[in-house]
Amino acid sequence: MSLVFKPEETFRGDYSYRNSDAAILRFPFPFPEDRYMYSVNIEPHVRSGPTDAFCRPFDIDEHYIAECRDRALTLELDPGRCQVLPHMMAAQWDTLELLMENLAADYPEQFSLTKEGDVFGSRWTWINRPLGIEQHFIFGDPDTLPCEPFEYITRQAQGDFAICDQREDNLYLDAGMITSQADWSLAFNVGMNFMEWHGPVPLAHQAGVFERALKYLLMLRLGQPVRRLNWTMSINPRLDTSPESYPEWGPDRASVTVENAGGKVHLRVELQTLWRLPRSNAILFPIRCFLISIEELARVPKWGKRLYRVLSSLPPELAEYKGLTRYLPATLAWLAPLDDGAQLATGIGPDITELAPL
Amino acid sequence: MMQSQIVSRPRYRDLAAEDTAGAHLLIVEGDTLAAGQMAALATAFAVVAERLQTWLVSAPATALAPGRVRRLHTVEEARTALEHIEDGFGIADRLYLQGTEPFMWSLATAAGRAGLSPTQIRMQHAGSLKRRVWCTHCHQTTENVTTNIATCAGCARALLVRDHFSRRLGAFMGVMVDAEVPGEVPQREEVFR
Repeated sequence: MSLVFKPEETFRGDYSYRNSDAAILRFPFPFPEDRYMYSVNIEPHVRSGPTDAFCRPFDIDEHYIAECRDRALTLELDPGRCQVLPHMMAAQWDTLELLMENLAADYPEQFSLTKEGDVFGSRWTWINRPLGIEQHFIFGDPDTLPCEPFEYITRQAQGDFAICDQREDNLYLDAGMITSQADWSLAFNVGMNFMEWHGPVPLAHQAGVFERALKYLLMLRLGQPVRRLNWTMSINPRLDTSPESYPEWGPDRASVTVENAGGKVHLRVELQTLWRLPRSNAILFPIRCFLISIEELARVPKWGKRLYRVLSSLPPELAEYKGLTRYLPATLAWLAPLDDGAQLATGIGPDITELAPL
Repeated sequence: MMQSQIVSRPRYRDLAAEDTAGAHLLIVEGDTLAAGQMAALATAFAVVAERLQTWLVSAPATALAPGRVRRLHTVEEARTALEHIEDGFGIADRLYLQGTEPFMWSLATAAGRAGLSPTQIRMQHAGSLKRRVWCTHCHQTTENVTTNIATCAGCARALLVRDHFSRRLGAFMGVMVDAEVPGEVPQREEVFR
């Protein structure tokens, strides 16, 4: 996929964010079946998948520049969206190295990394062409970067990033760059263990999902990352749906009508990956957020129909937890006419290679 | 209300001394002491009585306690005393807390700063179910909340008090209850008496 950035688009104010046809077709649609329930849906994060969004370790798309700018705006308003507990410095460098190496390898036109060595103390040069950055620094020396290494590199990547420290057979949320979250607070959750920070999720605890997931993640191996999808919905293409700013975006939920749902209601999908880090033995947890209006999504006929079926059969506890209750009826009314009842193929791919012209 | 579907909500158990070789410190919020409770504690701690120190915080002057007794007036005083404890803590030491949640977590977080690991701390809830509430919007805390909806001491928003609990902050999460439709505030009810 060639990358043509849309640097002017916005995720707040006039919400000018839109997806191109290519971006729609590569969307990581999260529903392989007509019904949805929590499961330990973890699979190896390999360089292939049902759409192009899965195919690289760290995905960059047409929204890259605009997303980095939105993150900078959020951090300016609330620097607490990036927090790193003091014992996490090795994990910070691990993260910087992993991101720089992969971005430079997968997007050589956009990024390059030159290293005079792999060990702490080596001179490195990082070039980020879309953001106009050329940085000479010493790997392992935070004083040679404009800010700490985790903040430095995650300001130049799409999606949120958490780092989990592993100790006492548990994972602790001990660092995060969280500016595009689905309504959870880093300031509240930082330092929590795996079970605690998933505390509010309904139904899944009773099903044993988190015990199994934790057991699996504690065994995660270097060089064998895994991935899963999670989803919710947002009104407007807004990245910053944090609890901190809920007073700003909460009223939007009451603004949805059958007439405006197509453009206002967005499916919000997180491609979550998990990486064992080499020096710190921590786990990096990137949460790459993809937004698509249901109008855009419905241009893939299979997806429009399936979304209707999933949403109309969603357990009420899940709708409530995901904050959909208020605008779900209008959303269903908008989607209903799309569903002709045809049998849909299992799997999440679009099953078409081109969209019908608008 | 002490049980919840939300698993970040701590569960508390009746205190029982662990027979480790270290020092044992029991801190009791005195005004939560019901009749017979101290006798029960004395029995529960008999096995470590020689290595036990009990701090009574805001207790009636007549209250008795097992071990060497120290009397403190306020939870702040107890916090300061914990943070300045001589020689710090060793791995065989244990801290036992009994009282309301805000009381216990004030002391548990102070003990954490003094070097005690969470695995060395035991807690038993007693007294009121009142909560400390942390506002997700302005990040201020509101003390002594007994209602399902509380007015934030920092930003004055009406906060729905959730069961999600942060041990680091010793507080429950509060989220603006009428953000979606301003003024749509459910009836306040006293649920954490």
